[in-house]
Amino acid sequence: MNNFQIFFIAALFLFIQLLLVDFLSLNHIRPDFLVIFTLYTSMIKGKTYGMIIGFSIGILSNLFGVGSYFGLEPLSLTIVGYLGGYLKNIYEKVLPYIFHMLWILIILFHFLIICYFRYQNIYISDLIEFLFIWFATTSYTLLFILSIQFIFPFREASNAEIS
Amino acid sequence: MHSFYLSIVKNRDHLLFILLTLFSLNILLNNDSPNTLLVRAKFLDSFSFISSPSKWLKTIVQLEEETQLLREKNLQLALQSDEMIRSYEENKNLKKLLDYKKDSNFDLVASKVLNMGSNSNLSSITINVGLNDKIKVNQPVIIPEGVIGKTILVGKSTSLVQLISDVNYRASVRIYPSGSVGILRFLRDDICEVREVQKNAEIKLGDAVMTSGFSDIYPSNLNIGNVIEIQDEISSFQKIVKVRISSNIGSLMNVFVLREQDNE
Repeated sequence: MNNFQIFFIAALFLFIQLLLVDFLSLNHIRPDFLVIFTLYTSMIKGKTYGMIIGFSIGILSNLFGVGSYFGLEPLSLTIVGYLGGYLKNIYEKVLPYIFHMLWILIILFHFLIICYFRYQNIYISDLIEFLFIWFATTSYTLLFILSIQFIFPFREASNAEIS
Repeated sequence: MHSFYLSIVKNRDHLLFILLTLFSLNILLNNDSPNTLLVRAKFLDSFSFISSPSKWLKTIVQLEEETQLLREKNLQLALQSDEMIRSYEENKNLKKLLDYKKDSNFDLVASKVLNMGSNSNLSSITINVGLNDKIKVNQPVIIPEGVIGKTILVGKSTSLVQLISDVNYRASVRIYPSGSVGILRFLRDDICEVREVQKNAEIKLGDAVMTSGFSDIYPSNLNIGNVIEIQDEISSFQKIVKVRISSNIGSLMNVFVLREQDNE
């Protein structure tokens, strides 16, 4: 995958995020396609690409409108890009369930940052409710990740540049 | 020098991570800086058209549903209007008797919602009115059901609205009929909570929650929602009142900005 292809797919994911999330919104919770793309990019191309892509689409996403905490998305997607880079080429080296646990943990961590900032009132007043919202938000995006696994699984992404 | 250069190349991933993280934190901590606001306003002005196909599609999908709702609303309003006309006349006469001074100085600017942000939760919308329509920062944004937010960023032809569902949104409210005041903030879904309410306030389920008029942003008596739960813990000095706001926030198409009239 060359730089032009990455740029094109990044723009496509940004469009999808911008145009479709309204239709996919459930109880004000929306899927995050940008984190999916950042994770895939970092698994395929490594940390540097992952972080640059994550930061760039994060800031563009925030520029399209966010009530408060402008800069939160680039921060969390940079972290996803950095952590996701560690999963590059490791599918063959670790047990499959550890590999899958690692990317789920990265997604969980991304939404922990987002939910902590966005739902801090609930975090302070009702921790169980906060955990539920965190779990629900993460699960909704995980549903889309699981669907994508049938087309382009993470194990292939992790080993994409070996051969 | 060579080894220093090598160590930079070797650790470039980590250095880039630190650099981007610090840059993100810098943006995050300088949300209100004029430069950041200027860049955001310019970007919104230039690129908000991108989300127009989605809005158009959504409009088509929701049109039928909205027409049905409007028909029902029309019927309800028609039934109410006779009573309102009578009340208006009565009110006008009473005001005349009291030498009432007109204090309402606002007019409504209708606007379309251009996009609803792209984040994993809904905290802002972009609308198609801006400086050209004499919109300013910190003006209330309302729908027929009540207040939904305020403008936080104004470009030439677009404005960014901080929704009531944003974590940093606060509004001073009054609960009727008791008249108790408190600070409203978003909790989850379509539920907000009002804090700082006096413990001895007599509040019942279903009571109306409206803007208090204490802030410079909102005039008094704009509807916000209804009380659905009252938390009165023995250990606390204050009550916490939960309020259900308009559940329409997720599918807004048109909103109104409450603009202060020019006194010329």
